[in-house]
Amino acid sequence: MSALLRAELLKLRTTRTFIALTAAALGLSLLLITLIALLQDDWVEQDVRELFTGDFTGLFILLLGVTGMAGEWRHRTITSTVLAAPNRLRLLAAKTIAYAVAGAVISLLVTLAIMAVGTTILSVRDLPTLGIADLTDGLWRNLVVSAFLGAFGVCIGGLVRSQIAAIVGLLLLTFAIEPTLLAVAPHIGQFGPTSGAPNGVLELEAFGDDTDILSPAVALLVLLGWLGLVFAGAATLLQRRDLV
Amino acid sequence: MAAVEIRALHKRFGKVEAVKDLSFDVEAGRVTGFLGPNGAGKSTTLRALLGLVRPTSGTATFGGQRYDELEHPSSQVGAVLEDASFHPGRTGRNHLRVLAAAGEHPVSRVDEVLDAVGLNDAADRRVKGYSMGMRQRLAIAAALLGDPGVLVLDEPTNGLDPPGISWMRGILREQAAQGRAVLVSSHLLAEVAQSVDDVVIIAKGELRGRGTLAEVLGGDDGPATEVRSRDPEKLAHALESRGLRVERDGDVLLVPGATPEQVGEIAAEEQVAVLGLAPRMRSLEAAFFALTEETT
Repeated sequence: MSALLRAELLKLRTTRTFIALTAAALGLSLLLITLIALLQDDWVEQDVRELFTGDFTGLFILLLGVTGMAGEWRHRTITSTVLAAPNRLRLLAAKTIAYAVAGAVISLLVTLAIMAVGTTILSVRDLPTLGIADLTDGLWRNLVVSAFLGAFGVCIGGLVRSQIAAIVGLLLLTFAIEPTLLAVAPHIGQFGPTSGAPNGVLELEAFGDDTDILSPAVALLVLLGWLGLVFAGAATLLQRRDLV
Repeated sequence: MAAVEIRALHKRFGKVEAVKDLSFDVEAGRVTGFLGPNGAGKSTTLRALLGLVRPTSGTATFGGQRYDELEHPSSQVGAVLEDASFHPGRTGRNHLRVLAAAGEHPVSRVDEVLDAVGLNDAADRRVKGYSMGMRQRLAIAAALLGDPGVLVLDEPTNGLDPPGISWMRGILREQAAQGRAVLVSSHLLAEVAQSVDDVVIIAKGELRGRGTLAEVLGGDDGPATEVRSRDPEKLAHALESRGLRVERDGDVLLVPGATPEQVGEIAAEEQVAVLGLAPRMRSLEAAFFALTEETT
């Protein structure tokens, strides 16, 4: 298993997609944080918390996970991958863990960068900032959600072999279906895998009302439930599929 | 126990029976040609052997073990499939490094196999810039990475130019000479005839013939002999009087079902001067068509 994990991590970091998505996540997040920190005037502590958690990193990590698995079908490399690792369950597990690790690493990089830049700007503007304890708290929440999204993306890529369909579906879920559910039926929307439950872990208020989000512990369990569900589905399909 | 054992293998895709009750062995130290027309079921059989396709019934094993049961599959079996694909953005060396990591092979093997297939100079180029021949060499390098005892190659000469085909033939012979069992499929009979020891012929998923190359070349008619004589009419009469069938081609007589020794002895008994005497084997093409024509 550790050999497969090493291979997946090596595969991941030797493709341009990983570097491009990491750079895009870092660049966009830094731009967003810089603009908000410079332009917004009224700040409370919750605003600062959300400044360091409400970025687009998760979306990039989700896409990275999807392309990591669905790309195997797109480039028809799934055959050589399965030949190297004929136990398909272990293969999927290794890939899922690898992209969870990758998500956490990207999140660590981006979060540390935006925290450093955001805190510096807020300090210069003599606005409230977060102490080390609060920053650490925000950091681990970001890492947990990012690790989940990387793993979740891999399993979605295993369920939907078409990379385009998987990405379009996830974008619809993230930007249309879940926001709509959170707005019109928050008691359902709060369980969503890309916004609802992650908001609970991050303690982000969806629409300014904290009754809309799950508690972090429950949200974490919901995320694990989602991961278990999509992993089981992807594993079943991967094991049953004939690679012709 | 044979290096590869296919036993009563059957694979159905929906209503299509791709492989029907197929059984054969592949021995170590020999190149076995797995031949058949397009759509005969060769690739399905090889993919079932490699655990990529689940057999409907029957088994396909390496020394009695399924591919997914092998403890270190890439150290025991190397495979080159017809549609060998690589991530276009990764270099050849990186592709092999990933496989080496997954198979727990030392990184030094990457350079060794790159050297073995002559890809050192292109190893750090992205695969999308590789020619078909370079991709096949990379696929062979990947198969050799774990120094396996069995090689399975599906149509490895597809898309190769004549030097590439010649190189591939050399690789097949070299690997068998080193004691490996080599199973190579092809629909181009002429391309493998020079490099195989044994052949297995299938058509429409069914076994049509198997054995050594000489056995299959001989075909169902058994041996045949070509003889040239000073007096072909007298010799033909002598042969026919002994119940042999004789086909005339000018002054050359073809005697199906007779060995050169038999024909030579009859000529000696009749005191007919023989100018030439040689066994004539059916061409592999002829044997192939004879074995498959009922169903094609």
